[in-house]
Amino acid sequence: MTAARPVPAPRLAPATSDPDTGGFFAAAARGQVALRYCAGCGAVLHLPRAYCWHCGGWDTGYRAVAPRARVYSWTVVEHQVHPAYPVPYTVALVELADEPAARLVTFLPGRPALHPGQELRAWFERLENGTVLVQWRPANTGDEAG
Amino acid sequence: MTKTGWQPGACAIAGIGTTDFSRDSGRSDLTLATQAVLAALDDAGVAAAEVDGIVRCDMDLVRHNDLAEALGIRQLSYWGECGPGGVAPCAMVGQAVGAILSGQATTVVVFRALNGRSGRRYGAAPAAAHQETVGGNVTYDEFFLPHGLLTAGQMFALMAQRHMIEYGSTPEQLGSIAIACRDRAQANPAAQMRGRPLTMDGYLSARMISSPLRLYDYCLETDGAAAVVVTGAERARDCRNGGSLIQAVAQASLPGTQPGTMFPALMRDSITSLSSRAVADVLWARAGLGPADVDVAQLYDCFTITLLLQLEDYGFAKRGEGGAFAADDGIGLAGPLPCNTSGGHLSEGYIHGMNHVVEAVRQIRGTSTAQVPGAEVSLVTSAPPPASSALILTADR
Repeated sequence: MTAARPVPAPRLAPATSDPDTGGFFAAAARGQVALRYCAGCGAVLHLPRAYCWHCGGWDTGYRAVAPRARVYSWTVVEHQVHPAYPVPYTVALVELADEPAARLVTFLPGRPALHPGQELRAWFERLENGTVLVQWRPANTGDEAG
Repeated sequence: MTKTGWQPGACAIAGIGTTDFSRDSGRSDLTLATQAVLAALDDAGVAAAEVDGIVRCDMDLVRHNDLAEALGIRQLSYWGECGPGGVAPCAMVGQAVGAILSGQATTVVVFRALNGRSGRRYGAAPAAAHQETVGGNVTYDEFFLPHGLLTAGQMFALMAQRHMIEYGSTPEQLGSIAIACRDRAQANPAAQMRGRPLTMDGYLSARMISSPLRLYDYCLETDGAAAVVVTGAERARDCRNGGSLIQAVAQASLPGTQPGTMFPALMRDSITSLSSRAVADVLWARAGLGPADVDVAQLYDCFTITLLLQLEDYGFAKRGEGGAFAADDGIGLAGPLPCNTSGGHLSEGYIHGMNHVVEAVRQIRGTSTAQVPGAEVSLVTSAPPPASSALILTADR
């Protein structure tokens, strides 16, 4: 694997103050992958929201999960639509090892060789504005970057 | 047949109209809307002043009062709006039916107008991507845009790749859909791809946009407008070209539908079966018909994969076999399900699902440039994420 490409323009930073989803990014800033769960019945609420329709509970919050995932699908983007995302790059859709029903997307530089079910590990990308993104890369890659 | 409370054939489409389809209309969205609606009213033989209802798409720049003023409507008594975006057209017709059957209007115009090439391009990064931070406020964009997932095409590419993983679908199968639509466009003087036939070599050698989707897997960003006039079935019989009966309309979402407008659909249990499968259940029950009864279909084709997934969701092909169905000429004029007979979004133009409604009426009237002989049951579908809609027209004879 090559090291991450230099980033030519500030990447898009996520809004981190949304009352429903902000906890995900707060956890990422602490180096954790966290999902929102219902404290009453244990249902995972992903994408995050405040109310659990399974049990009618409002007592919900974030809980860390293992930073492991598997490749579910991917696309290699060859046609550029935004200056901060020069091509080629890859967007992968991943399913979390602890919660296969919960998926996230990740940015991967270039055209990495991927296969379905391939094991991935989380890493935490700090953007220029200080926000931290949860990203994923093949589990056999070194942990030095990021 | 499930009892549904729906009234099959109580209303009809009595008028259809479009503008030309181009890359640069040189006209405002309001002018495009006005021209398409006037054409539809003229087709029906109904005066603009008689219109008392308007239904628009939530992404249209033209509001109901803009159009009412442009047309000289005397008294608007109903207006409605559906969305998001391409989900709307069949649901917009359904909203017109609801207004008529509940006594809120008698003559409802349903329209979509956009400068989709010279104005806001849906193939570009979303407007939100020009803000300092993205997402929040129930958009859920914060989970997608920062990772470089920026367009609908990239999302459907993830779906196409997953369909290939689960079922072994091939680029050639996607290509067969692009080619079938291109073939139909050759007979249609209004189609932007008329005169530009496509071969499999041409499809496969075109540049990759977002793998596995190539250039011709993408529809045509288009400037133009399309409109229909909806009224009661009895009244439609006295209109200039009669009525195409609205046998059924359906809107439906899936359990676990996910929030947001588009990307969160990637979080559902399956990304190879979309909300179209929920629409199909409601639609067939209301129509008292099934897939085998359909003579011709206009399936929403923002991308080739979108059409493929709907072949399975609506029950025309078995799960996983939509690609093989298309590649075996299943959607050609001689096939079991002739599709997108105007050329569709892929080769006629992308009016966000509304030109499909117009073409479905032409098939009932026998006036399509790729007419299916004796067509009496005509299906239209609208975009599948996050929820979807569809309708069935039948001949009034």
